[in-house]
Amino acid sequence: MTEGLKFSEVEIGDDLPEEVPDVSLSSVTAFCKAASHIFDRFLDHEAAQKEGFPGAIVPGIMSQGLLAAMIHKWAPGSSIRSIDTVFRGSLLVDSQITMTGAVTDTDDESNLVELDLAIIAEDGRTGVIGTAVVQLLE
Amino acid sequence: MSTSSNGLDLNELRDRWIGVEFDWATFEMDTTQMLAWAQACGEVDPRFIDPEHEDFQAHPGFTTHCMSGRLFPENFPQIGGGFGIDGGKRVDAHAAIRAGDTLTATTTIADIFDKTGRSGTMIFIVQRMEFRNQSDTLVSTVDWKMIKKAD
Repeated sequence: MTEGLKFSEVEIGDDLPEEVPDVSLSSVTAFCKAASHIFDRFLDHEAAQKEGFPGAIVPGIMSQGLLAAMIHKWAPGSSIRSIDTVFRGSLLVDSQITMTGAVTDTDDESNLVELDLAIIAEDGRTGVIGTAVVQLLE
Repeated sequence: MSTSSNGLDLNELRDRWIGVEFDWATFEMDTTQMLAWAQACGEVDPRFIDPEHEDFQAHPGFTTHCMSGRLFPENFPQIGGGFGIDGGKRVDAHAAIRAGDTLTATTTIADIFDKTGRSGTMIFIVQRMEFRNQSDTLVSTVDWKMIKKAD
């Protein structure tokens, strides 16, 4: 882990480094067990197809967790005060998804920054959009 | 819009139901579960993946898996069609959640509103769970947006 990102080092318009998180079946299964979120649509491609999905899908709450981890990688030592995600479309297990983020506002009295977040599916669809408020180191 | 297509007055519903507590539940914060959650999310910050770290705590969204016993209050009217879809979650992290904490969650309806777009009018019902630890400190608020088609 790198040294913490300081508030003074951040400007509106900064992009977070893109991340391609692991949404393999083994990783999603591990998440589902940790979340006691055991549903076939997340754990079994064939079962998900029977429910009308192209394959097993990434749980919405996991996609939010992936974004939180991306924020911590960008700004080690920061504290996420809020994170708000909208699930717009399915993200498939065992696919390549890409997470993005950008700084949209800063508050120099409280060292808070606001971020826009998104997760893009392998086929280019936007699967998740969101925002977060993050407190950075002074 | 203040009246849905099935004749429900959304303003009246808001006045009647917003803020009414309808479920209470208790959750134990388990180290193994907290750790597995953060690791599966690809977390690298030791505060979330090293139980020996002095500031070890749950990932910010950890409480999103804690479900209330009921989706809606008793006698809450059927709004829109079907079960609805998961529209997303907002988490406000007020304070660190520690391994071994016992959280008590109180569930309310936080908002009811509608939006009209290409798919027609959709009704949003926001279920709010507030989590307090054993010291009665508010540690997390989770707003869950459930979306239903008005027709």
